Amino acid sequence: MLLKNTYNEFVKILAKPRSYLGIGALTLLIGVILFAMKADGSSFISFVTQSFEQTLSFNGNILNGNLIAFIILQMLIIHIPLLIALVTGDLISGEAAMGTIRMLATKPISRTQIVLSKFIAGAVYTLIITVWMGFLALIVAKWIFGSGDLIVLNSDGLVILQEADIFWRYAMAFLVAFLSLLTVSSLSITLSAFADNSIGPIVSTMAIIILFSIIGSLDVSVFDHIKPFLFTTHMASWRSFFNDPVPMARIYESIVVLVAHNVVLIALAIFRFNKKDITA
Amino acid sequence: MKTIFTLLIGFLTFSISAQDATVLLDKVVARMNSVKDYSVDAHIKADIPLIKVLPVNATLYFKQKDKFKVVSKGIAILPKQGFTDVNALLAKKNSYMAVDGGTKQIGGVNANLVTVIPTVENSEFVLAKLWIDPKKEVILQSEITTRSSGTVLVDYKYGDQIEFGLPSTITFTVDVKKFKMPKSVAADMHNTDDKAKKKDERKNGTIIITLSDYKVNKGISDDFFKDVKKKD
Amino acid sequence: MSQPIIEVRQLAKKFGTFEAVKDVSFTVNKGDVFGFLGPNGAGKSTTIRCMLSLITPNAGTVKLFGKTYTEDRIGILSRIGSIIEKPDFYKYLSARKNLEIFARISGANVSKKEIEEMLEFVGLGGRGGDKIGGFSHGMKQRLGIAQTLLHKPDLIILDEPTTGLDPQGIIEIRNLILRLKNEQNKTIVLSSHQLSEIELIANRMVIINKGRSIVEGSVQELMNAQELVLTLEVDQLELTKTLIQNNFANAQILSIKENVLELTLEKQQVATLNQDLVRAGVSVAALEPKRRLEDFFMKIVNE
Repeated sequence: MLLKNTYNEFVKILAKPRSYLGIGALTLLIGVILFAMKADGSSFISFVTQSFEQTLSFNGNILNGNLIAFIILQMLIIHIPLLIALVTGDLISGEAAMGTIRMLATKPISRTQIVLSKFIAGAVYTLIITVWMGFLALIVAKWIFGSGDLIVLNSDGLVILQEADIFWRYAMAFLVAFLSLLTVSSLSITLSAFADNSIGPIVSTMAIIILFSIIGSLDVSVFDHIKPFLFTTHMASWRSFFNDPVPMARIYESIVVLVAHNVVLIALAIFRFNKKDITA
Repeated sequence: MKTIFTLLIGFLTFSISAQDATVLLDKVVARMNSVKDYSVDAHIKADIPLIKVLPVNATLYFKQKDKFKVVSKGIAILPKQGFTDVNALLAKKNSYMAVDGGTKQIGGVNANLVTVIPTVENSEFVLAKLWIDPKKEVILQSEITTRSSGTVLVDYKYGDQIEFGLPSTITFTVDVKKFKMPKSVAADMHNTDDKAKKKDERKNGTIIITLSDYKVNKGISDDFFKDVKKKD
Repeated sequence: MSQPIIEVRQLAKKFGTFEAVKDVSFTVNKGDVFGFLGPNGAGKSTTIRCMLSLITPNAGTVKLFGKTYTEDRIGILSRIGSIIEKPDFYKYLSARKNLEIFARISGANVSKKEIEEMLEFVGLGGRGGDKIGGFSHGMKQRLGIAQTLLHKPDLIILDEPTTGLDPQGIIEIRNLILRLKNEQNKTIVLSSHQLSEIELIANRMVIINKGRSIVEGSVQELMNAQELVLTLEVDQLELTKTLIQNNFANAQILSIKENVLELTLEKQQVATLNQDLVRAGVSVAALEPKRRLEDFFMKIVNE
């Protein structure tokens, strides 16, 4: 029954206009970035290399598809989570608002399976968004800007990665990025289990992301103990794949934290939905 | 009388020395001017604080008097100043004065120091010190100071293109004290750097360029250099 | 005697400090068309939701097909079809797609052909591809019945199924329910405010009020044991009034309009009244007893 209801969830997601809103917005956003970079990308590069340019000159195809893909991936931090939450935050509470939740809950399917099928569908939607972003960022950007070495500005310096050494980094980065976005999806679905309207979980998800991001960025010792446990701290761990050497220990730690978040959130949603009196 | 005589001897000595420095420099310039253009394969290895980059292969193109282009598949880091500066500086004979500065042992060779002082007002060059092998008439080391880039120290080693004064290895030592990390979109917003990692405290960085397969005076059209931005 | 289909015992449910259901008990047997009655706020909806495991009661037991939900929730729900309040569907999907979605998780293998036949059956043939957003209330009600019956359940629970339907629709639903009972021996629980409908189709019923079950039993027995409402048309109104007031202490005149009186009277006294009127020389043009569930209902809930 889990698979059957998961299929149902796909049917519902595919039929909702807002699902395409997210993909459309993502396409438009990336299109704008590609256009801007094509029009005046060299100014952007100067911004990145300016403090070195008094003494050094950087030669070669710097503004290439790999750099553009990196810039696009940077957007993950605030923008894409909203597009994910827009769809996944509605999965349970949207049914409550519509009244279909009581139709669903009187069918011979366990409440746990109802919640799990929504998580699976949400995860697949998140994967579609991630893959689409990867396609636009890597394939389309490379088609427009060509390929080349990647120049990355980290807080401890500039790293220039050779072209042949980049693809595997992007593959791993997108996997970890997917895990980050999956955490957003899980959070919004869990909040959806507590609400009876669509807007609440979506806004709450974004508020939590923004709040945790601010806490993570404040260089204040009082927050030092909780920062490692905030999922937003680890949402940018994909970036670590563009370091040399790649800090695998730190990445594994991020993966563990994100997976733990997903497990706890799913468990919470299942617990809540099982206990919930459906009065809608 | 004695004073006048001492001064006269000093002036004559100076003049003779200045003439010696100019003569030596002219020989170096003549060798350099025999190269109208060249292309060469370069293997560029940069070791600079705050920058991590693997060695890169590129092809360098030069045409008199100051056209220069780098073609590389990857991103190649080169010093902003110091590559063709000596050519640019020495191209205008009346814009500088050469002074003998003594000798120094460089790689087993007793090199003559020729200090080149620009005589033109508002010149980009402040000072150039050239250590020249008097027998082979090539520059072994240079220390070029410019207004915009500070001081760049360059070491030259020569191979089979010594007759043209074209080196086989060039080592640049650049000043990195002014390097700072900007906070930007490309920066690590979540500050993923490892605080425990030891910061690189060096004040200098080096770029070693190994040059091979020179193609000298084969003819390169001016159009080839057209998309290169002119230096300020 | 076969096991009851539904057994509710001392059901209680609180929402915060509000006691929606305090003590409800009733039994539904196989083949019953069971009327579930109560005024607004009596606890009907809460009781039905407890019966369908949408709500967890604070006390009491609900057994369907001899089992509690703790014992076999999936097995029980696979044998029930229900509409609670108004049927809600996915507005952005067509009628057909909605039925497919619910059929897929109904526990039965429902083919596309059966879905089309069901759409025809409820009068929505040809509308299967239309989105629900454009459906009227009556059409949604029909579709609700379709999704209730699609997997051929043994027990059907309908909460106000005729709400919003035109008279034609009401008759169709009534006939459908009777067909399900007579031809397929389905057990049906029907909650309705259309008391006349309950009277016409239900064989057993329970009335609940203020969270408690008040009376339960066969509809006919409950009606027969009680007072009747008589419509009496006479030629001598004043004499009739005096006779009633003097001879029938328990009678109550409800209304008088020209020469027509409406009064309540115990069933066994109807014949006596007729005889007394004739002896007194009153011409009785009409004497029509009404066993009105509505009046019975109002009497019960106001006690």
